[in-house]
Formats: sequence, C-alpha cells, structure tokens
Amino acid sequence: MTTPPEVPVQDNKDNNDNKDKKVVKGKGKVDLNALSEEDEKYKQDIEMIIERVCENDENIQKTALDQIRSELTQETGTVTSVPKSLKFIKPHYDRLKETYAKAPASNKKNFAQLLSVLAMTLGKEDEREIIKYRLEGGDEDLQNWGHEYISALAGEVGKEFDHRSLSNPDLKDTDVEDLLELTKKLIPSMIKNNAEPEACDLLLEIERPKLIIDYSEPTNYKRICDYLESVAKYQLTPDDIEIRRIVYDVYTKQNKYIDALRIALLLNDRDLIKETFSHNEDKVVQKQMAIMLGRAFVKLEPEDDEDGSLSSLIGNTKLSEHYLYLAKELDSLDPKTPEDIYKSHLNENRSTLSQNIDSAKQNLAATFVNGFVNAGYGTDKLMTDEGSRWLYRNKDHGMMSAAASLGLLYLWNVDEGLAEVDKYLYSVEDFIKGGALLALGIVNAGVRSEVDAALALLGDYIESDKHDLRVGAILGLGIAYAGSAHEDVNEQLMPILADGDQPIEIVAFTALSLGLIFVGTANDDITEAIVQVLMERDEKTLSNTLVRYLCLALGFLFLGKQDAAKPIIETTKTLNAKIAGYCELTVETCAYAGTGNVLKVQQLLKICGEHLEEGKENRHQALAVIGIATIAMGEELGTEMATRSFDHLLQYADVNVKRAVPLALGLMNVSNPKMTVMDTLSKLSHDSDAEVAQGAIMALGLIGAGTNNARAAQMLRQLSTYYAKESSHLLVVRIAQGLLFAGKGLISLSPYFYDRTLLQPVVLCGLLTTMHTCLDLKKILLSQYHYLLYHLSLAMRPRMMITVDEDMNPLPVSVRVGTAVDTVAQAGRPKTITGFQTHNSPVILQFDDRAELGTEKYLSVSTILEGVVILKKNPDYVEEQE
Amino acid sequence: MGNAQGGQGMEGLGGPPQNPNQKKEDDKKKKEKKKFEPPPPSRVGRKKRRKGPQIAAKLPEVTPIAKCKLRLMKLDRIKDYLLMEQEFITNQEQLNPKEASAEQERNMVDDLRGTPMGVGTLEEIIDDNHAIVSSSVGPEYYVSILSIVDKDQLEPGCSILMHNKMLSIVGILQDEVDPMVSVMKVDKAPLESYASIGGLETQIQEIKEAVEYPLTHPELYEDIGIKPPKGVILYGEPGTGKTLLAKAVAHHTSATFLRVVGSELIQKYLGDGPKLVRELFRVAEEMAPSIVFIDEIDAVGTKRYDASSGGEREIQRTMLELLNQLDGFDSRGDVKVIMATNRIESLDPALIRPGRIDRKIKFPLPDSKTKRMIFDIHTRRMNLATDVNLEEFIMTKDDLSGADIKAVCTEAGLLALRERRMQVTQADFKKAKEKVLYKKTQNVPEGLYL
Repeated sequence: MTTPPEVPVQDNKDNNDNKDKKVVKGKGKVDLNALSEEDEKYKQDIEMIIERVCENDENIQKTALDQIRSELTQETGTVTSVPKSLKFIKPHYDRLKETYAKAPASNKKNFAQLLSVLAMTLGKEDEREIIKYRLEGGDEDLQNWGHEYISALAGEVGKEFDHRSLSNPDLKDTDVEDLLELTKKLIPSMIKNNAEPEACDLLLEIERPKLIIDYSEPTNYKRICDYLESVAKYQLTPDDIEIRRIVYDVYTKQNKYIDALRIALLLNDRDLIKETFSHNEDKVVQKQMAIMLGRAFVKLEPEDDEDGSLSSLIGNTKLSEHYLYLAKELDSLDPKTPEDIYKSHLNENRSTLSQNIDSAKQNLAATFVNGFVNAGYGTDKLMTDEGSRWLYRNKDHGMMSAAASLGLLYLWNVDEGLAEVDKYLYSVEDFIKGGALLALGIVNAGVRSEVDAALALLGDYIESDKHDLRVGAILGLGIAYAGSAHEDVNEQLMPILADGDQPIEIVAFTALSLGLIFVGTANDDITEAIVQVLMERDEKTLSNTLVRYLCLALGFLFLGKQDAAKPIIETTKTLNAKIAGYCELTVETCAYAGTGNVLKVQQLLKICGEHLEEGKENRHQALAVIGIATIAMGEELGTEMATRSFDHLLQYADVNVKRAVPLALGLMNVSNPKMTVMDTLSKLSHDSDAEVAQGAIMALGLIGAGTNNARAAQMLRQLSTYYAKESSHLLVVRIAQGLLFAGKGLISLSPYFYDRTLLQPVVLCGLLTTMHTCLDLKKILLSQYHYLLYHLSLAMRPRMMITVDEDMNPLPVSVRVGTAVDTVAQAGRPKTITGFQTHNSPVILQFDDRAELGTEKYLSVSTILEGVVILKKNPDYVEEQE
Repeated sequence: MGNAQGGQGMEGLGGPPQNPNQKKEDDKKKKEKKKFEPPPPSRVGRKKRRKGPQIAAKLPEVTPIAKCKLRLMKLDRIKDYLLMEQEFITNQEQLNPKEASAEQERNMVDDLRGTPMGVGTLEEIIDDNHAIVSSSVGPEYYVSILSIVDKDQLEPGCSILMHNKMLSIVGILQDEVDPMVSVMKVDKAPLESYASIGGLETQIQEIKEAVEYPLTHPELYEDIGIKPPKGVILYGEPGTGKTLLAKAVAHHTSATFLRVVGSELIQKYLGDGPKLVRELFRVAEEMAPSIVFIDEIDAVGTKRYDASSGGEREIQRTMLELLNQLDGFDSRGDVKVIMATNRIESLDPALIRPGRIDRKIKFPLPDSKTKRMIFDIHTRRMNLATDVNLEEFIMTKDDLSGADIKAVCTEAGLLALRERRMQVTQADFKKAKEKVLYKKTQNVPEGLYL
C-alpha cells in the first residue's frame, strides 16, 4: 500500500540551516529569516487566517477555513517538496487541532476535512490522523485534494483496519462500517486515475478484495486481473485461491471465458472448469476453450457436441496433424540421422582410435538421439527405413529401447503409430515385444481418443508370464493414460500392486504408472496400496534403487495438493528408516511443486546443509536439492534466487548434494537456455566427480531441450571429444545432444504454458521421473533401465503457434514474436513484447517469447497466442486503399 | 565437501577420473592439466565489461517500479531468500570454518607468485595457458599463465603481474580507472547548499526535476509513464550562479558527482581527449547513480567548421565522442549530465539537441528582488553599520551579477579593514561598488560616454 508521502527532508533542512545561521550571528536589520519579502507576507497572511480560524465566531471561522482550503488547493509547487502554505501552517498545526475540538458543529465537518489533508504531511506517522479526521469530516470531495491525498488516505485506511482487527480479533463488518463506506468512495476515484493496482491494494489491506469485482469495467478489467494474478503468486494458500477466484469472477463478468478458463485451470477446480466450459453461446470461443483443455490435459465430456469436434479437440487428436503442418511450413520434414546431430566432423578428431570402444552404448545412444530428434515426424533413417535393420544391431535391453523409440517417432500419431508398431508385436524376441508395447504407450502420450486402443492392446500383456512384456505394458499404460484418472486402467493394475509376491521391479513400475495416471487426485486406494508395499517389503528389497519410483508415485498422487498431503507425509515418517526420509521428501516437494513456498525451501536448504557421516542414509539430501527446484520453479524471482542458493550449495555442501545441483538447475530452466545457467553447467560438466559431470551434461540437454541452441550444441560437441574415452559420459552427452535437438527444434519440455502461468502436472511428472532417474544414473540409466528415459515423452509439446480459422483450417497471418515484458501495474499501455520480429504463422516460440498478431484483419479468440489459436475476421477492418 | 583435502588442486590427473570413490575433490583446475583434451571453454578476449559484481550474484530486477503491494511482496520474497542464504552460510561456517584452509591456500598462492612481481601488459592470448606479454622496457615474451589466474578477466591490453624470473602471468592488476578520471570525483561535498543561492527558484526546481529526482524518486516518472530527462545545460551571463548551482546539487545528492572542466578534455596527444571522455562516462556508469558536471563546455563544444589545424580537429573529435556518450548507441543508465557555459549560441547544435540535453536552463541577471536576496546572503555575516542602506544598490540600473554583488561586499569589507573599523559603512559600499563596476567596464569610467 502506498505510504503517505514522506515529508521531504531537504527543504526543511534548508529552512533550519538558515535559522541556525541567523541565531549564531546577531546580525543587522536584514533579518528576514531567509525568506523573501513575498514569502514573509504570505506567511503573515497564513498566520492571520489561522488566527481567524481560532476565533470563536462561527462565520469568521467558516470563511477562514475556506480560505485555507483555497490556499492549499491552489498550490502547484514542486514535485516532491512540501508546498509553502503547508510549511507555514506547520507550527500552528497543534493549535488548529485544539481549536477543532471546540469548533461549532456547523464548521466541524469542513474543519475536519481540512485537518485530514494537513495531517498527510504534518501528522505523526503512527497516529493515523488523516483517517481520523476524514472519518469525522465525512467523505465529500475526495477528488479535490489530488491523487497524493487519496493514496495517503488509502494507506491509513489499511493501517486503521489493521489496528482495529488487532485490538478486536473477531471483527465484524459493523465494526468497520465507516472504513468500508470510505473505501467505496475511494476506489472509484483511484480507478478513474488509472491506479487500479492501488485500488486492489486497498481492498486487500482491508481484506475485502471481492469488492473489486463491482468496479471492473471493459476498460480496466485487464489491468485489475493482471495485477491480482501477479499478487496471488506471492500469497500463501488459501489467500491465493481467494484472489484467483476473484480474478475468475471478473473475467466471467466481462464475458472473457477464455481467460476465465485459464484461471479455472490454474485453480485446478474441476467444477469451475466445467462451468466455464459450459458457456457455449459462442461456438468459436468454446472451440478455443476445448483446445486449451486439450493442452492442459483436462478430460471433459462436452454437453452438446454433435459432430464430436469438441471432444476431439479436448483429446488432442489433431496434435500430430498440426505438428506436421508446422514442420512442413518450417521445412524440417527431412529425417535426421544421429550423425547429423553429433557433427563429429566439426570436432578436432584426434582420438579416432579410441572410438567405438563400447558399441552397445554407442548404439543405444544413437537410438535415443534418433528417437528424440525425429520425435513425432513418423520418418527417420534408422527404425522406419526398411533396409537398416537397426533394431537387430542392439542387444537385450538395448533392443527394448530401440523398439520403444518407434513410439517417439510416431508420437501423437495414433493411427499410423499403432499400425507401424503392431508389426513388432509378433516378433520372437521378448525384448522387442516389450519395447513395442512401451512404444504403443508412448504413441498415445498426451492424446486421447474415443477408442481406448492402448488399454485394449496393452491390457492383455499385463499378466503375461514374460517379464519384459509386463514391464513394457505397464510403463506403456502409465505413459498413455497419464493424467486421465482412467478407472479401467486402475482395475487392471491394482492387483499387481496388492500382490506381495511380485518382484519389486514390476511393483515399482506399476506404482509409477498408477501415479502418473492418477496424478494430483490423492486417490485413497492407490495411496494405501503403495504405502502397504513400502511397509511390508523387507529392508533388502527396499534398498533397491527402483523403490524410489514407489515414493515418486506417492508424490504424484499428491502433486500440488499442499496441506492436503499432510497426513500421508506423517505416515511416511513411520516407514523403514532406509526409505522414510526419501519418501517423505518426495511427497512433500511434490505436494508443494511450483508454489514457491519459502518456508519449505528453507527446510530443504537446511537438509542440504547437513553433513552426514559416511555410510549413513543420505539419498534424501540430493532429493532436497531437486525439491528446492521443484518448489521454486513456479515464479521467476524464486528461480533466480534459488539459483543463487545453489551456488552456496556447490561451495559448502557434501558431494551427494552437489550431484543433484546441476539436475536441479536443469529442472528449473527446462527448454530455457539461459547464458548464466549454461555457464555454470558447463563448468560443472568438467567436474572430477563423474556423477556431477554426468548430471551437468544431462542438465545441459534439458535446458536446451528442443531449442537447437548453438552454444549448448557447441559445448556438448566439445564434451563429446573430452569424454571420448568414457563410454558412460559419452552416452549421457549423446542423450543430451538428442534432447537439445528434440523434434528438430520444434519441441519444448517446459511444464509451463500460456505465458508461463499454467503448470501442467503431467509434464512435470515426466520431468520429475527423469530427475529421479538421473539421481542414480549409474544404476538406472546406464544399466538396464534406460527405457525409463521415455517418460520424457510425457513432457514433449510442440512449441508452436498456429493460427487457424473458425473451421480449424490453417490460416497464415503475419505475427510478431518477441521477448515477453512484464507490464503488470505499469502506466499507460506499454508494449508487451520487445525486440520482436515479424513472421508468418505458424511460428515457434522460445521459452520467454510472446506473440502478437501483426495484422488488424483478424482478431484472435484467445488472449494468449500459444498453441493453436482460432482467428476471427475483424468486423471493423477496412482494407487499406492503395 | 572437499574440506579434508584442501589444496589438492595442483596435481594433474590424466583424463576424467575413472573411479567414483577416488575422486572426491571439487577442484576444477585439474581438468586443465589434461594431456590432449581441449580444456573447458573459458571465454577469452574483449567482452563488454559488466558493471558491478558478477552477474550471478546480482539480485533479480523487480517490476513494477511504482509503489504497490506487488512490489513489496516481491521484495519480501527476495529478502526471504537472502535470509535463507545467510542462515545457510552462517551454519556452514560454524560447522566447518573455512578460514584456516583459506589462509593456507592464500599462502600457497603467495608462494607461487613470489616477490617481487613485475608489472606488464598482456599483448595477446595464444591459448588457454599461454600468452604474449610485454613489460614497460624490453622485448615481448611468450609465457605461461598460472592456473590461479582468473582467465575470464584477462583481456588484451590489461595490466598483469608477472613472476620475477619466469615472467609467467601470476595475477591481474584490477584497478583500471584512469587516474585522470579518479581526480574528477568529488569526494568532499561542497559547502554551498541550495540555501546559499539567492533567487533562481525556477532554475533550482528545473534542475531538481531533471537531475535529482530521477535518481532518488524514479517511480514518479514511471507512474506517469515518461523517461526522465538525461541532462541539462546551464547558461547565462558570467557570474549568475551556474557553477554555484552545480555545487549545490553536489552538496545535496548522495550520488557520485564527477566534475570536469571542458578544457581538461583537451589533451596533448591525438586520441587522448576522446579516450578521456569515454573513460569518464565508463567510470560514471560503474559508480552509478552519478552526475557528471562539465563546466565551460564551450571549450570543446563549439560549432564544427572546416578546421585547418590538427589541434582544432582533435577538439572536434573530442566533442564527437562526447556526443556519442551523451546519446549514443549504448544506454547510459543512471548517469545524469549537467553542463555549464556562458556562450550557448556558439555551441554545436547537435550537442544540445533534446535527447542529449533535454533541458536548457537560463540564468538571467538578477532582478531587484533577487539582488536583495543575494545581498542578504553575502552581508548576513558582516558587521554592518546602522547607516547602511542596501536598497540604494539594489535599485540602481547597473547590471550587477551575483558575482559582482559578492565582490562589492568583499571590497566594502576590505575597505573597512583598511581603516581599521569593525563596521562596514554605507560609504564603504559606495566606494566598493564604483571600484567593482569600474573594473568591470574595463577601464572605461562609468557614464563617460553617456
């Protein structure tokens, strides 16, 4: 809240200086108190008026008061210093107050108003005199005293409210009636002056933010909403929910359902989402909302959907089509080979002899790179090319990953993908069959159609007697149905979880899949089943590295649930000591993911700072670092400040904490290759500790994921020569390179979308799975479980902006793309993007880019230009005459 | 981590360590000792110097600038994180004091450097470990760079410390501020405040708006949505208080105040003048917020014309550099410029165009009211006789500037001193005024030609 303007010290000081000098020197007659003659006269005038005010005669007092008032309002002095009239009134302020106390009733009101204004500069800070006299003087003509007075008054309203609520804990509306009345007078004048933020502040101060809804107009709702939305980010629950509800109400009041839906998604309130979506007066708007829902992975059954177009939009079924359209427009349809990515001819090839030291790992790397780079294109040079027989150049689990990479190639393209993968289901190799099952799941990632093809196909293999087939089927189901809360899948998978005789591997993967499918639902049955497993299994089983996925599954179930996760956190404390710490932290950090909750960060930092004895269970420390990133990633300040904290961790903490730092940096900046982070990671990637280095390399891949960033690419190329002899390092470098060029630069892995306001839980899950995988690179990624990396397919989204007409046909228009600027609470109508370039849509957007339409001919239905955007013809548009 | 094995960073290991158990060290230096691998990238060469501390240590910028709850909460958030950092570091320091090991490492670095160290210039960086250096005398050498030197800070042309025998680079001389510029900084605030200026109220207000408030109250400008003015020029007849006002600004501001006289910018050697200007503004930006005051700007800022002599051309080039610094390609941030001259008509129009100098503040000769104030200021500490009537001087038609009035007062005081009086009389003032005006009209007695 705006504080009352400080009395600028300088001018007073000048005044005092002069007085001092005068006193020191008993000078001649030219003692003018350093005032010019004019000022002196003015001073005398003022004094005379004040004398008259102090007289008892009612009428004289009245005219005198009016005089003062006009003196004060006339003053148009300097910007920050005290007007002269006030300066002269100052010594008489106390006297005026006394006079006021015994002034006749007819003048009282007028007098009080005047005193209120005077108190702005002359009153003492903590006496709240502005508000005191204002309340006594009524609330007329607030406007006349200028904006400064209004903000000072607003500030005191807040203080007075605080004061009253402190002294009276159960404050009723009646106790603050007067304040509310005054506020209602203040708000309109603030809003008239373009000071919406101040109006919001005032209402927040007096804990009545709801009132702002009444004042929202088509002209100012945007400013109000933007401001409140930003404020909500820094409030604790449940205040933030309340504020966001208000923003929602303002948007609906203005019939801005697209924005309202965005807020509803932010609130993650299913009923609210449903209600918003049911506004179907405008079919086009509803279509755009369906697209948004599809992007946010929210499954809704549209009510009147004759041709099924809405549900297909919600199911994302057109995703592949749009993506390929984008690729075609940007001319990147040609498949790329891993060698196109490695570009080893650019390296100084001095160590040719040492190459191919571990061809299995090299081939595995090539498989992943090929999968990531050509993700979603449906063509490549290794797998789909008939003659290459790439699949059979891999062994064992390598084969499984190779077969699964088909899923990435046909990502989102269910029809073609199923046909293509189906061939491999008849293979004799179990690994290939298992991989193909996983591929089936990946193809369906993020896409939902009417027919549950994935469940039908994969369901049969869950109870198969072949281990690898089961693994493939279970993981496939998890990826295919992530975020859907699909009950049928639950029924299929639950028995495995409940069966105490199942190998821990299968149980862990089942739990992970269930966690993904029921993300953020806090499903009781699954929670219970997982806790049961964690309690019943013996210590030896629990020390298996895969147990982390059980914990992670628990975390997913409570993703973003905040305090609702408290009971389960308590439960995890009772688990076996081997796993309790890890489990507790996983659930806790997931529950607060993206909230920026400072208290949690503080706890986690403390854990990171502990120095544990050798041999003691310390896995949770690394997790704490990831946890800080998970919590802080929601808002920019937190991200930047957490990055600072990580510097200290590198300096002080133990090595297992250090190992997680690069990963955490990667998680906070997914698909956002910032120079500073890249520099840090580049340094860490040469660390002598293998796991620190590998983590840093992986993180380099993540922060550059899908950006084709040339700097990161060069760093990775250098690393590939640097680690030419280290097969494990090299594998990680290759994977990072694959990530960097994911989808040939058309894909983003960032969990945030729609102007980085909305968190997509499934994407976050995909990333967190990868993070946990990377926490034990040696035992998971670098051994036989490398196929867990395919969970990144959950995070993949085209970073496109496609414009379509009302019938969903592509409609190229000119679009400006530039770096987003934070314009919340700024004066005027500042530009929202800077350094923009004009392209023809479709375009791709960087992490902090924003797009604007470059033409007046069309109007966008959505306010935020991201993903698929429907355009309407501008009815007011007039073709320019040549 | 790494606490038990301080200072192990010196021995080289071939290749990345193979065994995770045996490499707990955190030193990054090792990696540079690898036999055949390209070392990790370190950025070499000239780069734009960032002001202030490292970028990583910089706190994030908080928008909006206007006072509001959002800003408060954002700042609170930053504060929370900083408190956590502090807590973390204090705990760690208590647990595991770094000082001993730091001391040890410092000693080691000192040993490596040896004494005395030679001072030289870095001519060229060959690769990450070698460079060509030259000392003030003698030839250039091809030497190695010790790993203790921060290579990010090396750039061609910088001053370096060299080992006395091997001549290898052992350190960098950090302080690069041109001594010419460092003397320009006003360390001690002048005694003159706004109170010691008679009149000139509008001028004071204008200069405050243009120079002071943008530095102290940037939100005011943000609120209304304008960019604050970048600089002002003060012009007017001699003795009207231009420099005095600048002094008062310096007195009141807590910003860095750099003062230069135009003639200082004219240097003996070609290119030195523009370089000094560049240096001046670089320092100003480093110490931002700052105010640069260039007095007598007409020394370098006169209109351009076809100059025949090299010296004149050099002066013009200095001005061109000044033009660029005032409103060139790079933004200047929180640097405000005040210029003063008494011949504004002779200045180059490009120098005083809006955008470079947004406000032109005229200092007129004092009117009678102002004259009274000035007399008042100067006679305030004088012992005046009762017969003194200053109105007489105030009302005369002579063009008295502020400086003239001061001279009259001083002169009158001296006259009184000469006669060993403790009071200054009206007669003294009369005599003094005649004397001053006589001098002013350059030996032409007053009224001779009237």
